[in-house]
Amino acid sequence: MPKIEVNENLFFSLLGKRLNAAELEAILPAAKAELDEWNAQDGLASEDRTIKIELNDTNRPDLWSTAGLARQLKLHAGGQHPSYPFFSRKGDERPASRRVLVEQTVKGVRPYLAGFIVKGKAVTDPMLRDIIQTQEKVCWNFGRKRRSVSMGIYRSASIQWPVSYKAVAPDSVSFIPLQWDRPLTLSEILVQHPKGKEYGFINGQEALHPLLVDSTNAVLSYPPIINSNDLGAVQVGDSELFVELTGTDLPSVLLAGNIIACDLSDMGFSVEPVAIEYSWETPMGKRLVCPWYFQKPVSVEAARVARLLGRPFSVDEVAAAVARLGSETNSHGQYVTAFPAEYRNDFLHPVDVVEDVMIGYGMDAFKPERPRDFTIGRLSAIELFSRKAKGVMVGLGYQEMIYNYLGSGKDFAERMSLDPAELLRISNPMSENFEFVRNSPLPSMLYSESISSKAAYPHRLLEVGKVALKRPSENYGVATRQYLAFLSAHAGADFNEAAAHVATLLYYLGREFQVTEPSVEDPRFIPGRQAVLLYKGGRIGIYGEFHPRVLEAWGITTPCAGAELDLEALLA
Amino acid sequence: MDARSLVKSLHPLEVKLLLRYGPADELDATRLQAELGYKEGQANQAFSWLSAKGLASEASRTATTVYELTPLGRELVERGTPEERFLSLLAEKGALRLPEIAAGLGLEQKDIGSAFGILAKEGLCAMDAEKRATLCPGMAASPRIATIRALLEKALAATGGLVSEPALSPAELVAMTGIARKRGAGDAAFRAAEREVVRYRLAAESPALAAELRAMGVTGDELGSVTAEVLEKGLWKNVTFRPYNINSPTARLIPGRRNPYVEFLESVKDKLAGLGFEEFDGGLVETEFWNGDALFMPQFHSARDIHDVYYVADPTKAKTIEEPYLSAVAATHENGGSTESRGWNYGFDREFTKRLILRSQGTVLSARQLPTAKVPGRYFGVARCFRYDRVDATHLSDFYQTEGIVLGEDVNLRTLLGFLEMFAVEVAGATEVKYVPGYFPFTEPSVEVHIKHPVLGWFELGGSGIFRPEVTEPLGVHVPVLAWGIGIDRMALMALGLNDLRELFSPDIESVRLRRAKLS
Repeated sequence: MPKIEVNENLFFSLLGKRLNAAELEAILPAAKAELDEWNAQDGLASEDRTIKIELNDTNRPDLWSTAGLARQLKLHAGGQHPSYPFFSRKGDERPASRRVLVEQTVKGVRPYLAGFIVKGKAVTDPMLRDIIQTQEKVCWNFGRKRRSVSMGIYRSASIQWPVSYKAVAPDSVSFIPLQWDRPLTLSEILVQHPKGKEYGFINGQEALHPLLVDSTNAVLSYPPIINSNDLGAVQVGDSELFVELTGTDLPSVLLAGNIIACDLSDMGFSVEPVAIEYSWETPMGKRLVCPWYFQKPVSVEAARVARLLGRPFSVDEVAAAVARLGSETNSHGQYVTAFPAEYRNDFLHPVDVVEDVMIGYGMDAFKPERPRDFTIGRLSAIELFSRKAKGVMVGLGYQEMIYNYLGSGKDFAERMSLDPAELLRISNPMSENFEFVRNSPLPSMLYSESISSKAAYPHRLLEVGKVALKRPSENYGVATRQYLAFLSAHAGADFNEAAAHVATLLYYLGREFQVTEPSVEDPRFIPGRQAVLLYKGGRIGIYGEFHPRVLEAWGITTPCAGAELDLEALLA
Repeated sequence: MDARSLVKSLHPLEVKLLLRYGPADELDATRLQAELGYKEGQANQAFSWLSAKGLASEASRTATTVYELTPLGRELVERGTPEERFLSLLAEKGALRLPEIAAGLGLEQKDIGSAFGILAKEGLCAMDAEKRATLCPGMAASPRIATIRALLEKALAATGGLVSEPALSPAELVAMTGIARKRGAGDAAFRAAEREVVRYRLAAESPALAAELRAMGVTGDELGSVTAEVLEKGLWKNVTFRPYNINSPTARLIPGRRNPYVEFLESVKDKLAGLGFEEFDGGLVETEFWNGDALFMPQFHSARDIHDVYYVADPTKAKTIEEPYLSAVAATHENGGSTESRGWNYGFDREFTKRLILRSQGTVLSARQLPTAKVPGRYFGVARCFRYDRVDATHLSDFYQTEGIVLGEDVNLRTLLGFLEMFAVEVAGATEVKYVPGYFPFTEPSVEVHIKHPVLGWFELGGSGIFRPEVTEPLGVHVPVLAWGIGIDRMALMALGLNDLRELFSPDIESVRLRRAKLS
C-alpha cells in the first residue's frame, strides 16, 4: 500500500481550504486514505511541512499524488469536477503539433508509449518533488517496479521533434546518463550506473534495448532505466516539459499518462497533446493522441445497487453518488452507466460502481443489520478432539506450549539426527533461521528444554499443532497433519514414563492401539527404547527415550522422553 | 507480629522450651536432650527457629571434646570387652593357659596378653605355677571395668553415640581417655573429636509469651498431623491440634496447564461458533491458484512477489489444479469469463498457478470452502499463515489470521456491517464501532472496521467486504458472499499483558508457566 508525502501548502491550496488533523482524518476515508504522520508543530514553516498519508486502494493510482488526492477529497465534499479539455478519444482527437514515432523494433521489447507536453508555468520545488514522487509511486506500485510502466520527464524546448522510440543493440549507442560525467553504452549503464544495476533486470538479456531519441539522434532516455544528463535533466524553474511513459501494457501506460496530465493540469499547467504514431496496429489503433481517453463505460441496475447495499436507491441517487467519485454518468431506464473519470480505470465489473455508490453516499447512510438467516455454529471435529486430548495431558501434569512452525535446518534436522531432505524447505527464506517447515513439534520442545534448565523440574511440555509431512503421492507432495507431541524432562524421565502417558492418553480418548518395534530405528530415540504406535493397523506415532546424541546436540543434560502422534489419524 | 500470631507460628518444640525455661537459663542441646527428651537435631531446630523469631540468642560458644561410639564400640557393648570376656571365661572354666583363652574367645593372642597384663596389674588375676591364668579370690569386680561398661551403655543410648566431655565424671573421663582414639588412629571403642557447644538464652519477652501460651492452653503436646494412626485409634478425641499460621508462604506448585494464548484463540473460536459460524481448516501448503488466482488477484499483483510469499523448494508445483475451477478462474482473469467482468486482460499462466507456496492469507480457506458451502452458510477459520517478513516485535514469519464468510440469498452491505458490529462487541469487547471504505483485491465493496476498545483505544479490528463475483462465480457460488478477517493479536497481547508478538509463541518454560490471562 503506497504512502505519499504531500506538501502542506500545495495540498491545502489544491483542496481549497486548510484543515486541522481531525478534520483531515474525517474526510480521508472518501479516498480510502489514512493520516499516517503530520507534525504540524515541528518548527518548520508551512511551505516546508509535509503530511504523510497512506493510500489503501492499489487500483486507484490517481490518488497517489498531492493533486489527485486533493481532487478526490474536494469532489466528494461537493466540489466541481475540473475539466480536462485536452483529452482525445476515438473519433474525437485534439490537434497535436508534436509527434513521437514508435518504431517496429520495440514491439517485442517494450512496445507502448504515451506522452504529452505541459507548459505555461515555472516548476516550483514542491511541484517537482511531487511529480518525482508520483512517478516513483505510479511506476513502482502500479507499474510493477517499472516493468509494466515507467516514466521520463524532459526539457521540451531543447528537443528537436519528432521524437523516435526504437530498440537498438545495447553496445551500439552511448550517451551521458543522469548523475554521470561521461558517455556510457547501454551495456555499460547496466553494469556501472546505479540505476542500471537496479532496473537492468527488466531489459536483461534482450538483443535489443529501448531508446528514446530526438530527430538529431540526441538521446532523451534509455527506458526504463535512466534519462540523459542533457535533455532529461529537469530543474526548478523549467516551464515547458515533455512527459513520456513507456511500458508493456497499453492501458496501464495510457492511464498513467492520463493521471500525470490531470495532476499537472490541476497544478495550473496547460497540457498540449502529442501524437503517438505506431508503425503497427495497437489494440487501440495506430495513432493515439495523448492524453488519450480509452476507458470503457460500465452499467449497473439500480436494483442491483439496492440489493448489494441493503437499502433502496433511485437511479438519480446512484448517479449522484457515482459522480462524487469523479465519473460521469447517464441513465436509461433502471440502469446507470458510469463513464470512468479520465484518471481512473478500476471499473472491472458493475460491483465496482456499487462501491462508488457506497463511498459517494458515505458509510453513515448504511445502518448495521442483524442477519436473518439461521445457521448452526460448530467447531471442527479435530478441534474438539484436540481439546479433549489436551485435557488429558494437562491432567498428567503437562504445560501446553505453542510454537512457530518455521525454523532452521540446524534445529529441525541436524540436532534431531534427521536428514533435512525429510523436511519441507522454503526456496526463498528470509534467513536460515526460518528455512524449514517443521515435521514435528519435538525440536521446538527440545529447544525449550535447552534454554530452561533453571526452571523448576520436572518439565512436562505439550503441544497440539500442525506439521507438514512430505508425501510424494499427494497432489501437493505434502500432507498437513494435526499432531500432539509431548516432552518430559527430569532426572527420572524415561521410556516407561512416556509409554505410561501415551497409554493413559489413548485410554481416555477411547482408542485401542498396539505398539511395535520400528523396522528402522528412529535416530531421535535410543535403540530398543522406542515404540511405534499403531492404530487400526496404521502407524500413527512414536514414543521413546531421547538419544543422548540428540540431547548433546541441544546442550541438554537432563534425561528426556517424549512422543508425537497424529491426532487426525486417531480421529479417522 | 502480635503475641497471638506469634504463638500460632510456634512449633511444639519451641512451645515446650518457652514454657519450661526463662531468660536466666543457659541452654544447650545436651540440656534439652536431658530435660525435655529432645533429640539433638530437635534441640538445634528449636534454637534456630526461636533465634529467627528473635526469641532466643546465642549466649556463648565453647569448644569441647566429644566421644563417638565406633562400630567396634557397638560390638563391644553387645559381646563384652576382651577383659570382661577373659574374666567370665576363667569364672566358668577355672584356670587356663593364655593360648587356650585366646582360642576359647576367638581373640588374638596379643590381645589376650595385654588383657591379662592389665587385669594382673589390678590384682584381679594371676599366673599360677603351670603358667595358667587364674582368678584371684574375692577380686571378681573392678571399678574401671564397670566404668567402661557404663560409658559404653551411656553412649549407645545417646543420639549418634555421642557423649561430651563435660557430661563425664572424673573417673569416666580417666576411663574414656584410656579407650578413645583420635580420628584416624587404629580401632578403638570411641573416637574423640573437637566440637563447639553453643549455649542460648531466651529473650526478655519470653516469659510474657509463655504466659500467653498458658493462657491459651497451648502445651506443645498438641497433635501436629492427622495421621492414619490418629484416626484409627481415635487419638484426636483427647487432644487439640496445633494451630497453623495461615499467613505462612505457600508452596510453589507446577501444575499441568493450558497455554493462555491457545486458550485465547479457543475463546475466539467459541464466540464465533456461538454466532452461528462453522469452523473450517486447511493445509499449510497451498498453490498460487488458491492463494491468489481464485481470489481474483492478478498473477502480476505486487503482493504475489517473491518478496512477499514463501515458495516451497521441493516439490515446486502441484500435480494438478481442480477443474472446472482452474478453467473458470483462468477465463475470469483473462477476459472476465462468464462473470460480467472485463477481467485483468492478460494471459493467465497455468504453470505459475500450480506453484506451491506457504499459505500467506487465511482467505485461502474461504475460497476453498466456496465450492462446497451451504446457502445459507457461515464459516470461519483461525489459520496459521506465513509472510516474508523480518521477525520483530510486530512481525512474525508465521502467525494466525481469523477469517470467515457468510453466504445468503439476501446478505448485503448492511448485513456485513451487522456482523462486524457483532464481532466488535462480542469478540473484541468494543465500546464504539466505526466503518470506513477499504480495499481488498477480492471484495467489492470493501469495508474496514475500526473499534474503540476500553483499554487499547481506537484501532483497526479488521477488513471485510462482499466477495467479487469474479471470486464466487467461477467457484460455482451464485449468491452474495460476505468475507471478513479480524486481527485478534493486539487483543491477545493485551489479554496476556505482553507487547511483543514473539512472546505469544515463547519457548521459555518458566515465562509460559507464570503467564496468565487477565480475567475479562
